[in-house]
Order: sequence, then C-alpha cells, then structure tokens
Amino acid sequence: MTDAATRHSAPRILVVDDSSLVRLYYRDALEPAGFEVDQAINGIEALEKVLAKPFDLIIVDINMPRMDGFSFLRVLRAQASDASSIPVVVISTEAGPQDIEDARAAGANYYLVKPVSETALRDHAAVLAGRAA
Amino acid sequence: MSGSEAPRASAVTVRQEDVRRLCDFLYRRTGMLFAEDKRYYIDRRLEERIAATGAESFQAYFALLRSDADHEIQYLVNAFTVNETYFYREEHQLRCMTSDLLDDIVQRKPVGETIRIWSVPCATGEEPYSICMWLMENFSRVDSYNIEIVGSDIDTRALKAAAEGVYGKRALMRLPQGLVDRYFEKDGPDKYRIDAGLRNSVTFTAVNLVDSQGMAQHRDFDIVFCRNVLIYFDDASRRLAAENLYDCIQPGGYICLGHSETMSRISPLFNVCRYPDAIVYRKPVREHD
Repeated sequence: MTDAATRHSAPRILVVDDSSLVRLYYRDALEPAGFEVDQAINGIEALEKVLAKPFDLIIVDINMPRMDGFSFLRVLRAQASDASSIPVVVISTEAGPQDIEDARAAGANYYLVKPVSETALRDHAAVLAGRAA
Repeated sequence: MSGSEAPRASAVTVRQEDVRRLCDFLYRRTGMLFAEDKRYYIDRRLEERIAATGAESFQAYFALLRSDADHEIQYLVNAFTVNETYFYREEHQLRCMTSDLLDDIVQRKPVGETIRIWSVPCATGEEPYSICMWLMENFSRVDSYNIEIVGSDIDTRALKAAAEGVYGKRALMRLPQGLVDRYFEKDGPDKYRIDAGLRNSVTFTAVNLVDSQGMAQHRDFDIVFCRNVLIYFDDASRRLAAENLYDCIQPGGYICLGHSETMSRISPLFNVCRYPDAIVYRKPVREHD
C-alpha cells in the first residue's frame, strides 16, 4: 500500500491533460467509482501537485504545452521524494511502437491509446492504483 | 434577441414593482407566466419594447399595452420568449452532431487534432454547455480529440451570465436527473451552478454576426450552431451574416440553424444535408463543389 493510500480512504488520482473536456471525461469516469480525482493542465502543474501531496496514480497525456508527458515522467522519476515511485499510466492518441517504447523508457508503468472507455479506465486505475476504489 | 442589434433603452428605467404589475397583466391576458427568475430577460426585453414604441415612461408604455394598440401585447410576449432557452433544447440537433456530423469530421481528421464547435448566439450559455454535456455523454471519442467549444453573443450581459453559469430550475427542465446531479450543484433556492469542469470547457467571446472584422477573429470551426438569429435580420444583413459565417467554417464544416430557418434562401454558398435527425448546411470541401 502506498503512502497516499495509508493517509486517505479513497485512492487519489492525478489526471494531467491540457484539454478541459478530457480531464472532465476522466473525472466523470473515475469519481463515481470512488476515486478522488485531482487535475493538472500540463507537466509543470502536475509536478507542483505531486510534490505537494500524495497520489496513488497519475494519468498523463503526452502532447501538452509547456511540459509534455515524457519530460514530466523523466523529471518525476528523478525526484528524491516518495513522489518518484508513484505509478504512472500514459494515455495518448499516439499509437506507434516507438511512442510506447519512449514512454516506458521515460518511466511509464502502463500505456493506453485513446479512445479509452470509462470501464477500461476504471479497471486499469483500480489495478494500477494498487487497490479498488 | 441576443444576436442582433436591438435598440437599447436609455432614459426609461423599470422598477421591480412595474415588472410585477406587467407580469400579472400578461398572465391575465395571455395565460403565460413570467416568473421572477427570468428577471434578466424581462427587464431587458421590456426596456427594448419601451424604446421601440417611443414611450416616455413605464406608465405610458403600460397604458399602450393595456389598450393593445398595434398588437403590442404580442410584440412584448414575443420579445419575452425569444430568448427563453434551456439545456438540451434542440436534442435532435445534438443527436445529429454525434451520429452524423462528427462521424464525417473524424474521418478527415487524425486523432489528437482539434475539433472546434461554435454556439452563436449563445445567450446565457445553455447551448454551449449542452453541447459539452452531450459530447461527454454520447461521443465515444471525446478523449481522442482536442475539442474546443466557443460560445459567442453580441450581448455582453448575457455572456457574463453564461460565464457565471447559474441557472433556474426551468432551464434544467429537459435534463435527466442524472445529468443535473452530475453537472450542477445547488446554489441557493431553485438555483443551480454549473460544474467548474464544464464551465472551463467553454470559451465565451463577444461577436456581432454582421461585423466582418470581429467575425474574422473566429475561424476554423467544424460545426456551428446558429439558431434563431438570422430571422431577425433584413435581407442584406442576413446575407452578410451568412457570408461571415461561411468564412468562419472549415471546408467541409457544418452549420445548424433554427427549425424555421433555411440557408438556401439566404445564401447559395452552402450545400443542404438531410440527416435523420436534422437538416444542416455544409460548406463545400472545395470551392467548386
């Protein structure tokens, strides 16, 4: 069980995507399933949030302004705090083998290609967060 | 109406007591109930009618109304109802958007690209928020595209209300309870505030359909909802508005009008597309199509 899990009853997920509609879609899929969802609009805002409070899982997009998903992953994994070991799932429209390999190399635990159904999102989130909501 | 330049009242101000008297009168004469939560529209429309009739005071206007000179009751009722809108008002058009229009658009666009949708005039925001909700509920690829929704209106007071996103019970009457629970929170008695995530998903801008320069700031839309505004223009303005809208739409993009409006009589620029749920107009992919 992660640090976040011991401190909070609901598993906490950070959703990172520059599209407001996509963040809303993830939130609406995850919250009714019992997850607590926080949001960030790019890698920089996501870093600020993960360093400020504990999360069980991060869901991150690749193409974002200011700091993209790959850069975010690399910086996150290089942190000297507990945050560096939070599981990360990359969800992207990029479906090429090179994109998946790049994400793994940057430190992603899992890679999903959009569109992702609400059910798939909930199931993967429960597994990757280490517990069901 | 919110999308054209209605005359603005200047000198005559309307008191709450006057509005109540007027609403009582209209109820007795027409059976139509205009409640206090519609104050935003009522004040505005009433001021416009007072200005349009040249009445010098509310009392003078009220006397005119009671005598029903020049069918003023009908004009006033029209003015009051024209902007009355609610969430999921034109559900058939929303259905057409997800079952036909977007199917076609995504065939021409790789995933990850931007899809731009415009609600103009958007009045107090019910339509752009409805589009957003409808997509969330009915478009399975909502996460695969960068969807941008813009709501525009000439009326900056309406835009302010739209951005605030607080609605009375009436505006929500067509929404299933599940959606109300999901996308609104109670904000006082009979007031509902739209979800922050939804509010952030719509950008609001001021625009006048016949102002070509201002319209040039709005480009590359894939779908435009432009309902019940062209009917208020004269022929020349209507053609200009249609041409301006044409320039705002991507080749192959669509425009949905109100059910009593047809683009064919306004402008030959668009092609008619008949879908099971709605008739929409399409900008040709190539100029000579």
